[in-house]
Formats: sequence, C-alpha cells, structure tokens
Amino acid sequence: MPRPYSMIDPLRRRLGPLENHLVDELLAGRLSRRSFLRRASVIGLGGPMLAAVAAAFGPWSAPLAQAATGKPDTTIRVGTSVPAGAIDPVTVGDAGGLLMLQQVGDFLVYDQPDLRLAPMLATSWKPNPDGSVWTFRLRPGVKFHSGKTLVADDVVATMDRLADPKNASNALSVFQGVLSKGNTKKIDEHTIAFHLDAPNGNFPYYVSSDNYNAIILPADYDGNFEKTWDGTGPFRIEKYIPKVGASFVRNQDWWGGPVLPARTEFSFYDDQQPQVLALQGGQLDIVSQIVVQGAQGLLNDPDIAIIKLEASTHRQLHMRCDIPPFNDKRIRRALALTLDRPAIVAGLFRGLSDLGNDSPFAPVYPATDKSVAQRHQDIAQAKALMAAAGSKGFAVTLTTEQYQEMPDYAVLIQNAAKEIGIEVSLKIETQSAYYGDAVFGRSDWLDSPFGMTDYGHRGTPDVLLAAPLTSRGSWNAAHFKNPEYDRLVADFVAAIDLSSQRAIAGKIETLLLDETPVVFAYFYDYLTAARKSVSGAQPTAISQLFLQSASAG
Amino acid sequence: MGGGWGGWFARRISLSLLTLFLLSLVVFAGGQLLPGNVGRAILGPLADPRAVAALNHQLGADRPPLVQYLGWIGGILHGNLGRSLEFRSPVAPFIGAALVKSLKLAAVAAIIVVPLSIAAGVAAALSAGTLTDRVISLAGLSLTVIPEFVSSIVVILIFSVWLRVLPISAAWPAGADPFEQIRHLILPAVPLVVVLFGYIARMARAGTIEALEADYTRTAILKGLPRFVVLRRHVLRNALLPTITVIATQTSYLVGGLVVVETLFRYQGIGSLILTAAIGKDFPMLEAGILTVGAIYIGVTLIADALAILLNPRLAPGMAG
Repeated sequence: MPRPYSMIDPLRRRLGPLENHLVDELLAGRLSRRSFLRRASVIGLGGPMLAAVAAAFGPWSAPLAQAATGKPDTTIRVGTSVPAGAIDPVTVGDAGGLLMLQQVGDFLVYDQPDLRLAPMLATSWKPNPDGSVWTFRLRPGVKFHSGKTLVADDVVATMDRLADPKNASNALSVFQGVLSKGNTKKIDEHTIAFHLDAPNGNFPYYVSSDNYNAIILPADYDGNFEKTWDGTGPFRIEKYIPKVGASFVRNQDWWGGPVLPARTEFSFYDDQQPQVLALQGGQLDIVSQIVVQGAQGLLNDPDIAIIKLEASTHRQLHMRCDIPPFNDKRIRRALALTLDRPAIVAGLFRGLSDLGNDSPFAPVYPATDKSVAQRHQDIAQAKALMAAAGSKGFAVTLTTEQYQEMPDYAVLIQNAAKEIGIEVSLKIETQSAYYGDAVFGRSDWLDSPFGMTDYGHRGTPDVLLAAPLTSRGSWNAAHFKNPEYDRLVADFVAAIDLSSQRAIAGKIETLLLDETPVVFAYFYDYLTAARKSVSGAQPTAISQLFLQSASAG
Repeated sequence: MGGGWGGWFARRISLSLLTLFLLSLVVFAGGQLLPGNVGRAILGPLADPRAVAALNHQLGADRPPLVQYLGWIGGILHGNLGRSLEFRSPVAPFIGAALVKSLKLAAVAAIIVVPLSIAAGVAAALSAGTLTDRVISLAGLSLTVIPEFVSSIVVILIFSVWLRVLPISAAWPAGADPFEQIRHLILPAVPLVVVLFGYIARMARAGTIEALEADYTRTAILKGLPRFVVLRRHVLRNALLPTITVIATQTSYLVGGLVVVETLFRYQGIGSLILTAAIGKDFPMLEAGILTVGAIYIGVTLIADALAILLNPRLAPGMAG
C-alpha cells in the first residue's frame, strides 16, 4: 500500500518524541491500526494528526455505540443487581452501585469497549517525557446538575478525596503507588497536572471510567450523595428507593449534546433468573449484565439481542509457591497442563470467552504478546513433570466461592487433576467466608494452599500484574516471590510506548508460564441482554451502561 | 374468669418480651460469628485495608461488640431501631416498608389457602376412604413437596411470559390501587398456597376424623341433632383446634421466610431484607428484621392460643389449673 508520508510529515514536526515514536511504529508495520489508535488515545494524541493518519491509511471502523435508530423520548427499563449499600462515589464497589453513579456522573476520560480512550470531561491529555506528570485540559462550560460550572478545583478535590487513606475510598487500592493525596495540581481554571508517585504509561486509564469511583464531583461535596446526586452526567435523578429501584430524567444541559431517552428506569434484582424472565416477558428492555449460567434461554431467543464485549474478567486458580504440595514449579505446571481449556470455555460459557495463558495478559489488551505459545492440555507432559518432581500424586483441598460458574469450574479442575494422581476435594464457601478479613492470616482467599478467586475486568493489566503476583502484592494468594518478575512489572508499568510494553509483556508471559503460580484458564466476555427493539445502549465491561443514545421500540 | 384472662395475658406478654430479648442476644452473638465486617462487605474484598478501617470507624463498627450492642439496646428502649450500617440511614423506614409488603403477601396467600385447604381437609374426612379423599390427600402431599422456586418459575412462565396476563414482578408501581396491588400479588401467592395447602388440609382432615369418632359426636348424633348442626357445633369446633395452631406456626414462614419467592418476584419483603443484612453484617438492620418477625410470630401464637381457648373453654386460664 503506498503511504503518503507527505501528508503526515508536516504535522509530525509538532509532535513530541513519544508521539513520533508511536507514528514510527505504525509506519514500520509493528503496530496495527487498531493498536495505534488505542495507544494514541492513551498518550493523548488526537486532532489533526489522527485525522491525517486516517486519511493516509484509509478510514477505520470504530466499534462505538451503534447509532440509535428508534424513536426518541422513550423510557428505557433496565434490570440490574441491587446496590450493596449507600450510593456514595467514594465507597461504592459493586456493579449496581457504580451503575447508578455513572448515570448522573461523568469521568475525565471514557474507556470505550475496545479499550480506546475518548475525551469526556477532559478534552486532551499528555505525559511529560518519562510519564511521571500527566497534564489534562478540561472541557469548558460544563455544568453540574446544581448549576455550578465545572472547574479545575472540582477535579483536584475529587482526586484528593479518592486518594486520601482517611476517606474510606474504594479507589485507594487503584491509586496505591500511583497517585497520592495532594499531587493533583491546578495549573489554571481548566488545566490540571497529576504528579505521579512513579512513572506510569497507562495513567489516563486510572482517571477514566475504568476507575468507577472517579466521577467528578463538586469541590464542596459533603459525603451525602443520595441527597443531591449532583454530577455532570446525561441524566438527573428523579427518584431513588434503596433496594427497589431508581429513575432518571434527561439532563437538557448535558455537554455531550441531546440525550435521546426522556427517562430511564432501573429495577433492582437479587438474582439473575427473575431478570431473564422479566426481559422475556417484555417488562424490561435491558438486563445490564448476564452470565451464561441460567441465561442459556436468552442466547437463543429470537427477540433478544446479546451485546458481547471482549473483557479481562477471569478467575485466578492460585497454588501457594511457599508450601507443599505446590512449592515445586513442575507440579504447578503439571496441574495447569491437565486443563482442557477450549472444552472448559465451551462448557461454561458456550464459547463466549477467550482462552487464558496463565498470565494476566488477556487477549483484549493491546500490550499482550500474542506470539507466546498458548498452553494446551498435555497429560503426558504433565505426568512426566510429576515424575521429575518425584511426586506420585497427593490429596489437596481446593477452596473457592459460591459465585457464578466457579463451583462448576472447580469440579472440572477436580476431574482433570485426577488424571495425574492429584485428588482434589472441594471446599466451596460463601463469598464473605472465602474472603474473610481479606488480609494475610485471616482469609481463606489469601491463606489457602490451593484456591480460586473471581477478578473483574480492568482496562489495563497493571493492577492485575502487581497486586496478585508481586512479592509485596496485597492480593498475592499464591505467595509468589520472584525479583525478576517484580522488576519486569515495574518496567512494564513505567513503559509509555506500546512496543516496549509488548516486549516486556512477552517476557512476563514466558516467566509466568514457567513458574505458573496462578492458572488463568479463561477471560470471559461481558454480556448484556436487550430486547431487539432497543438500540444505541452501550455497556462497558466494568458494568456501566451508557444510555444517552439509547432508544426502545 | 376475667382475672384469669388478665393474668394469663400479663404472663404471656412478659414471657414474650423475655423471648424477644433472648432472641436479640442470640442474633447478636450469631452475627459476631459470621466472617468479615461491614466495611469490608461494603467496599469489597479488594479494597485497601486502610479504607476498610476508615469506613468501619465512620460507621462505629470498630467499637467493641458489647458497646455496640448496649448502644443499640439503649436506642430500642427509646423507641429507636437504629441506623443501617450499609445504607447509612435509619432502619425503621426499611423495616416498615418491607413489613407492610410481607404482610400484604402473607394476607393474600392466607386468604386463598386457609379456606381452601380447610374445606378440602374436611371434605376428605367426611368421605374418608373414598376416591375423593384419596385425590385430595394425594394432591396435597404432592404439592407440598414442590419447591417454591419450581412452582414460582412455572407460574411466571405460564401467566407472565406466555399468556402475559399477570405481571412478573410483585412490586406494584407507585400509586397503584388495592386491586392493582392484589393483581401483582396473585402469582407470588401461588407458590405459598402450593406449599401450605397439603399441610393444612392434612391437619384439618385428621382433626375432623378424630372429632367424628369422638364420643361427644356420637352422643350428638344419637340425640337426633341434624347432621349440619353436629358438624358445625361439635365436629368443626374441635377439629379445627390443631389446624389453627398449625396455621399460626406458619406465620413466621409466611412473613419472614419467603426469601426465594421474594427474590424471584422482585418483592422487597422482610425475608430478603434479613438475608442481605446478614450477608452485609448490617447488625442493626439484622436485629430489627429478626425481632420484627419474632414479635409477629409471638403475637400470632398468642392470638391462636386465645382463639383455641374460646373454641374450647376447657383450656381457659383457671380451668386447667
């Protein structure tokens, strides 16, 4: 394909070294157009440069929300899980609660379903050369529902509130080692700079919709969100009844333009089954999230459309590296080799899932090095590894949670392990019993020699690489300690350009396949179910649901 | 006999209060055994421990358990049910709304199942050994063993998904009139009727057969009283005593034990309120929910005992000694 560099070159003179490096990677064919776009969105490359590249390489389809084709002014009826407590942007940590926040609030940046970042309350952003300071420009003229205008002070207060260890902030674990209280600085009324604890190449994701607590609140927020529901989002609160439901009306003054639905109604459910029935019975338009177990009927229902998002949601099967029987990495590898992953994915998810390769690098991440060979079932090799480790087999207990498909997956592991003489007995607990106090010494999750844990989707692998696997990681249930791994993760987090990230990712993937502290067998798709008459609804794998362009009927 | 009644009531009421107090202690002690804490339940397993500690402190959940309990009891004595830790607002409106809903559903179910099952039980007894008797007994027995989630899903599929004549959700829209509310409660009442019908009918049948064979019935028949009068005055009066007790003991199930039905029909009754409070370690909500159900159970049992005495004066206070 002829490449009209002449169109790009004049523009490149205005770019910094980071941006130019990214363009070089694209021109050299080391980056796909999709990866280029994703990475360009992270470092804030936009405007004329992107347009020029698009012109040079031809248009590309952006998997954005489908355009609304139905009539405006409808009411969209959504079923979702019951918010677990008071709706407070600082503390919320569950799907039902974060969905409520996102109806009335906006983020600085929107992490789209394909992990490209799009401007929201921030119109542009860029890092300094080493990625330790990120500067964001704010959209002018944005109004809160209360009528107040959004300024830099609101963003500074929001981020400081979330980064403050005294505030019961659910974002604290995300900001740990990344952003500290007091390091979000106002440059002018519409510019802020984040001075990070350490260089970070993925920082914009940390203040995007990925960090569901980070909706921008007025600087004078007093902690009682349910009194005001004051945000800048496309919908205003109409009514909220805890444990029952909520309704919202369109915000006529939304900065993003006309909001299509006149109203939205959310009904809260304790379980998936009644949501499935209500959708089939025509009493709901959308079920915000379904899991395949118990919703098989919807997958084949001609009246229902399933919106599928490739995601990084997964289960971690940890094997403690510090105590028998899994303190020999050959035994850990042997167990991982017993799993028939394509069959597991077909059985548990009807195939609506990617395969895992025993590292947090899900196929959805652009940084994942897909040239690293996929691990497949190999019983002969597994038996050889057991023999080499001098093990004829043993009995072990697998501790896990009563949650979604996990008990079924545990049975599949039990059956597979038998092939190499490992007798697995299952201990399936309630989620609160499994997690316990969630600190070492008082948690089956963190203390069990062999356990399985649920992990939600994240827009970047950074947190998944660090907390569950680094030597001092607070979620390191495998008790995996490997200085080489720790160093690689620090390098990965600091890397700003995608080719460096991918090179380090390849090394991490290879190291983890060799050590296998944790089995990652699958990364399953995020599924939303809607009646065929609904268009324009855009879920995210974080459990948000953007309805400003939605239409029903 | 008036003094007898007064003393009987006073004794029963003070016993009831003692029972409720002991119940609150048991719930509290049980709650301490549940793993986790409320801050962790709200923030989730992956939240930073500092955030969990901060939230527990804000909610007062880091105080010694006894201090929390005494504080709560002190509030109760002043008529204050406390504040929900999870929802950070007073417990009373949650309990009130859930209780009203639970009572409405229980009432609709009871209005259907009590007359139906008593009539069926008495009819079976009057034709004991015949085909009618066998059909009623067998049907009652078969229905009782159908789990609620099965009967619930079957009626939802038939009446809401296929025929679309009744709403799936038991939660009626705001401002619905009583008829609309009842329309929403018909489907969720069905699984309760299914569960209770066989049980109550069997008790009514057994009681009736026993009364029919009793000496006083034979005497009444020999006296030449009409069959209808014998049935009403001598048979039913005695036959229904155990049935009333059975119905009373089912009240706590009807009011507080309907978690499955409430979940499937999206009905925020007190059963699911108690369950989520227990999971979330929301101690004030859990205590208030369980004590409310306990108080209703005690109240209904009291009424049932009084009713039994009225039907059979030989049980009256002062008569039995």
